[in-house]
Amino acid sequence: MEKIQTGTGKKLKSVSYAKWGYIFIAPFFIAYIIFTLVPQLLTIYNSFFETYRIGLQQVGPNFVGLDNYKALFQPDANGTILILKYALNTMILWIAGAVPQFVIAMLLALFFTSTRLNIRGQGFFKTVIYMPNLIMAAAFSMLFYTLFSRVGPIQALLEQWGVIDESFDFFAIRVSVRSMIALMNFLMWFGNTTIVLMAGIMGIDQSLFESATIDGANSVQVFFKVTMPLLMPIFVYCLITAMIGGIQMFDVPQVLSKGDGVPNGTTRTLVMYLNGYLKTRNLGMSGAISVIMFIITGGLGAIVYKMLSAPYKDQNRKHRMRKGNVL
Amino acid sequence: MKKLVAILMAVLMLVGIVACTAKPADKPADKPADKPAETVAQGKVFNIYAWNEEFKGFFEKYYTVPEGVTVNWIITPSDNGAYQQKLDEALLNQANAADDDKIDLFLAEADYIGKYVDSDYTMDISKIGFTNADTMYEYTIKAASDVNGVCKGVSFQCCPAAVIYRKSIAKDVLGTDDPAEVQAAIDSWEKFDDVAAKAKEKGYYMTASFAETFRAFSNNCTKPWVDANDNLQFDPQITKWIEQTDKYIKNGYTLTAGVWDAEKTNEMFKTGKTMCFFGPAWYYNFCMTNAMDPENGCVGDWCIVKGPQAYFWGGTWLLAATGSDNTEMLKDIFETFTKNEDVCTKLVQNEGQYPNNTKVAEKFASDPAWGNTMILDGQNDTAIFAELAKDIKWENHTNYDQILNEGLQNKLQEYFNGSVDYDTAMNNFYQLIKETYPNIKLPA
Repeated sequence: MEKIQTGTGKKLKSVSYAKWGYIFIAPFFIAYIIFTLVPQLLTIYNSFFETYRIGLQQVGPNFVGLDNYKALFQPDANGTILILKYALNTMILWIAGAVPQFVIAMLLALFFTSTRLNIRGQGFFKTVIYMPNLIMAAAFSMLFYTLFSRVGPIQALLEQWGVIDESFDFFAIRVSVRSMIALMNFLMWFGNTTIVLMAGIMGIDQSLFESATIDGANSVQVFFKVTMPLLMPIFVYCLITAMIGGIQMFDVPQVLSKGDGVPNGTTRTLVMYLNGYLKTRNLGMSGAISVIMFIITGGLGAIVYKMLSAPYKDQNRKHRMRKGNVL
Repeated sequence: MKKLVAILMAVLMLVGIVACTAKPADKPADKPADKPAETVAQGKVFNIYAWNEEFKGFFEKYYTVPEGVTVNWIITPSDNGAYQQKLDEALLNQANAADDDKIDLFLAEADYIGKYVDSDYTMDISKIGFTNADTMYEYTIKAASDVNGVCKGVSFQCCPAAVIYRKSIAKDVLGTDDPAEVQAAIDSWEKFDDVAAKAKEKGYYMTASFAETFRAFSNNCTKPWVDANDNLQFDPQITKWIEQTDKYIKNGYTLTAGVWDAEKTNEMFKTGKTMCFFGPAWYYNFCMTNAMDPENGCVGDWCIVKGPQAYFWGGTWLLAATGSDNTEMLKDIFETFTKNEDVCTKLVQNEGQYPNNTKVAEKFASDPAWGNTMILDGQNDTAIFAELAKDIKWENHTNYDQILNEGLQNKLQEYFNGSVDYDTAMNNFYQLIKETYPNIKLPA
């Protein structure tokens, strides 16, 4: 920005409107600093202290350095490092839900945007697939719990058909509880992803599809050579937001397993672990878990971004080079 | 321009930091202090914190709220400690809250009452003019008193607990449904086990939950869960419960449901196959509604006996919150639910409760015409409870009891339903303790 001398009586060469820009974006930054940045910094700060409550009596805060982090990575009597176990749980639960979520969402987005299929009643379908997202996750989870509980209708039905016996318990089997969580997350989020991907596909110039078709490309080729590369920025955005949401998975497994991550903590996610510490307001340990989650999220985000957007970036650079590196 | 941005950012940072640190900094300065009752003008809003609607029902029926006062119920379910979390936040903020937002009265259960009684957030009820009556059960006063014996609240109930059995099943298993004979058949745990085996032969369950007998053991512990040096200790009674339950599960004497699960309460329908349930007077209303179902229930098919071991279970205390501006109403409520014989009588007659008033209880216990027909076959259950209530002692309680009692049950349930082995379940229990109270020293 060129600096212009003012107040000396000299004539202005040009007027800078930049300060208005700063003023307009200020509300966001104020809110961000107060409600996000400061709590984040406090979380990091607290993670170096021993601070919790026994009943109503406060213990600490005492500075303990990295002890909280060390405690988190201490193996228990069975040699399991719990935070790793819970991180793995979180990852399994997310992947099991996210793979079908993205596959189905991509297919639906392609169908809805295809000019050849030209599906009627799109508004209706879009509303219906988005619907599960409007239900509160906790309520949805409660519904599943009631359906699959020992006294629920599904157990009764399967018993009647002779598939299972009386002592069968869906919540005592790892695969069944995990599948339920993945299914719920899939049902809740595939509609949302479909809509975002559709917006991305519709942003692509229709003439590209047309010319590809005229050149004799079949729909698979069109998808991999035209749609996917051009959709990449939106797709990466979707994937990263879904991943961040996945790492923070909490309400569905919490309600479904009554906070215990049954069976044997195999459906306990990182945030459920963190929440366990908050029962006694143990800000030190929960802070340490938050910091670790922050690092994991940042790391994974960077990897996904690098991996998936690399080809797209190269194209951009080539494009710039062709233009003589002038923006 | 750069300078402007820098200044703006700096100011924002400061605002942020000040906004976030100002409050905690001045908190310890104004700790809640006791004020003499006479000088306090009475407030217009009365806030009550509770975890369910039970007491609200009694309150609305039997207490007349003074004119001009609005009663505000803040009800948070106790699942996963939610009630205490909400209550704790409100109590810690009590000193800074506006008078009408301050908690006046809150409810606490036996498992964690000590946490509140031993703090400055509850007040000495003698300071608001309430004196404990001779008719109140000693243990209810002891539970609501801090280490120096200062009483902070009252209970509207007394909770001696017993065995409630299905007459028709007892008749089939033991050949008799007479309370005296049934009691003779199950007056020790060994005999109880024998009857369980007989019940199994006939196709019945002895109990419907793996934790049904837990309180009968845990409230007879001879040492607290955590000793003075923060060491976790397993009382022989707890070990005995684990052994018994293990045997019951393996032999198919009991179902694997939790105490509060629908699978268990469904056993109280007419079609149920379970002979014994363990509970105090509040158990009728709270857990046995299925038995009272007009179509599928079995009212009158129940009797109550002392069982193998006398014990008590739970109870709800009303505690006076420090800083309340409705001290007269507080005193009035305490008196209504403990000293007012008319109200206590109604609690027995209409609600099936056992009152915290020995005079009223004895009146019913010695009345040959009195019998419980709400659920029992007209048996005088008050007489049974009155006998048991004499022996209740309040001892060996710690502020950790709730997490430890519930945690042990939850983690062992996974062992009892077969999803983990015993060592893993115990390891999960220790992990829970480590997570919740890092100060407790676990056995090596």
